[in-house]
Amino acid sequence: MAHPLQELVHKGWLWQGREATEQLAPEQFIDSGWPDLNRRLGGGWLRGAVHELQVRCHFQGELALLMPTLVAQQKPCLWVNPPAMPYWPGLAHRQLARAPLWLQERDPKLALWAIEQALKSETLGIVVAWLNKPEAAVVRRLQQVAAKHDQLVFIVTAWQASTEARAYVNRLQLDWQNESLQIAILKRRAGWPLPAFPCAVSSFLPPRRQRSA
Amino acid sequence: MSQDKLWWYLLTPALLLDEQLALQQQEQRRQPQVLCENEGQRGRTVVQLNPAAIAAGIQRGMPEVLAQTLAPTLQSRDYDPSRETTVLQRLAQWLHQDIAQIALYPPNGLLFEVAGLRRLYGDYLELEQRLHQRLRRLGVRYVLTAGDSPLMARVFAQAGQSGVVASRSQRQQRLAQINIAQSLLPLVSQQRLQELGIATLGALLKLPEAELGARFGRAILAYLAELKGQLCPPQQWYQPPETFTERLDLLTEVSSWQQLLFPLRRLLQQLEAFLQSRQWSVTQLILCAYHRDKSQTQVTVAFALPLWRQRDMQQLVQLQLERHQLPSPALEIAVQAKTFSAREAQHQSWVAEPHTEKYAQHDLQALLGKLQSRLGEQAIRQAQAQADWRPEAAQLWQPQLSTEAAPADLVRPLWLLPEAQPITLDNWQLQWGPERIQTAWWDTEAVGRDYFIAVDAQQRQGWVFQSQQQWYLHGWFS
Repeated sequence: MAHPLQELVHKGWLWQGREATEQLAPEQFIDSGWPDLNRRLGGGWLRGAVHELQVRCHFQGELALLMPTLVAQQKPCLWVNPPAMPYWPGLAHRQLARAPLWLQERDPKLALWAIEQALKSETLGIVVAWLNKPEAAVVRRLQQVAAKHDQLVFIVTAWQASTEARAYVNRLQLDWQNESLQIAILKRRAGWPLPAFPCAVSSFLPPRRQRSA
Repeated sequence: MSQDKLWWYLLTPALLLDEQLALQQQEQRRQPQVLCENEGQRGRTVVQLNPAAIAAGIQRGMPEVLAQTLAPTLQSRDYDPSRETTVLQRLAQWLHQDIAQIALYPPNGLLFEVAGLRRLYGDYLELEQRLHQRLRRLGVRYVLTAGDSPLMARVFAQAGQSGVVASRSQRQQRLAQINIAQSLLPLVSQQRLQELGIATLGALLKLPEAELGARFGRAILAYLAELKGQLCPPQQWYQPPETFTERLDLLTEVSSWQQLLFPLRRLLQQLEAFLQSRQWSVTQLILCAYHRDKSQTQVTVAFALPLWRQRDMQQLVQLQLERHQLPSPALEIAVQAKTFSAREAQHQSWVAEPHTEKYAQHDLQALLGKLQSRLGEQAIRQAQAQADWRPEAAQLWQPQLSTEAAPADLVRPLWLLPEAQPITLDNWQLQWGPERIQTAWWDTEAVGRDYFIAVDAQQRQGWVFQSQQQWYLHGWFS
């Protein structure tokens, strides 16, 4: 029988602190383009890791959040099962150098197989996948492959009210409030969860008219 | 005398059966099997037999009925010389990688001119080893002999005198001991010589030629001249074909592509040899399965980058076939390749900096090929910008890689909906616009739209337009 503590660990209520002592070199981090976020994540997006972005609804700013990272990337990126057709003229307008590779696959198992092959090939810059609440085993597997091949993966998924433990390195929750994107950090490598803070993703969006008083 | 020509002859006494055996499972191979041919009054006789049949006491030339009695579990099939010739051509093509001058002696012999290869291989020994290696991989039983003339090599092969490394004098000695019955002379001449008490070629060669000619006619003089190498008939050298088509008999009906993978491997090995000898690579194959009712199923396998190794091709073919099903069991399978490209030189080292970009592109192509083989060609695509005012026609997603940049001067959304969705403007707040997009009247799908950027209840920025009094959502900005 599993130890009762295991259950708590599984539910995400109990954390093991052994990774905290791990020292990470600055070059292990990729600048996210947002100083506030960099500071909270210990330097930026950790390479060789899977990051989770929970969104309340699609198109609320998750791509704008990733845009600085995508723009800085020299290698082509792979987008798996995005919620709509990526629009290359619009992406080019945001200074993206190369059109993403767009993979659309209905069978979740095949989609995961494709992601894994992409990570193993080590030819891509970033893999962004829109997955519907992936299972713990799936995340663990992706995390292992990403770590082994030193790849950067973002999983965009729906908001989850109760957080079961997952092997993501960082788990971010995005929400739009008070005319700015709020980012709550549910889990991070560098320390405790952090409450929501505003992120100025609007600089990657068309200008808004100020709400009239 | 070192300038003399040297000829090797490869005799494969049971080529057709060996080819069939190579495709069988280990267990089936251990069953006694023979190929039989109709021989007039004697009825069907055994032409080719496998080791298990030999162990059962069956011999060549034995009537089929007798063979059946010796081994009740005997599998007997028809011998087809034309089919064996096809296999021989395949063999010639396979060996063409090592030897340039090959002449076909259908249905089961190949003649090689090897004197010219001495400088390439340094030593005949090395060439011999290479041939042995290749033939062993194919699992063919064979006799390889050498002679100072094509005929001498053939006579040795017929007599079963294997071995190619010997000096000229040793060969002459061996030749002298060959029985007249194995001399490849016409049967009539053989009988007449034997009646005179001339039992070996040695005895024949000692006789004065003029007298032989007077007694036996010109034919035997020509034979002797050919044997000694004084007369050398022109050889028809094998010319490798320009396209690749290989067909394989499966012997049993096979009901799924999965089971075809093993025989396919053999065909792809053939293809590799074909490509290797020409320094070509291939990007598209056609797999063809032939069914009992003469119908066929074709599957086109495309690779994202040019390949030539059997291993690489096999992997992708395997992935691609996982998506297909055979409509009915197949009896034969074929692989065709028609368009080829010359290989680009590739360096093994990654050190050379300026080329890194190219290697990365190559690896990316390989990844694309792998994903497309398994998921289908349209599953993964990259966009190309198009010069078109209509937003939905300004990009084209294609299953190829592109590195082109797109014009970046227009404010456009990051996402486009495949089809514009009708909306009611109550839920939206217009923020920027309008931008009129209008296409010329001669376009089949005339477009006249006023585009706005609008914010919805969830604070998302959408790209909306009005056309003919109706509002539509066409894209998203975030």
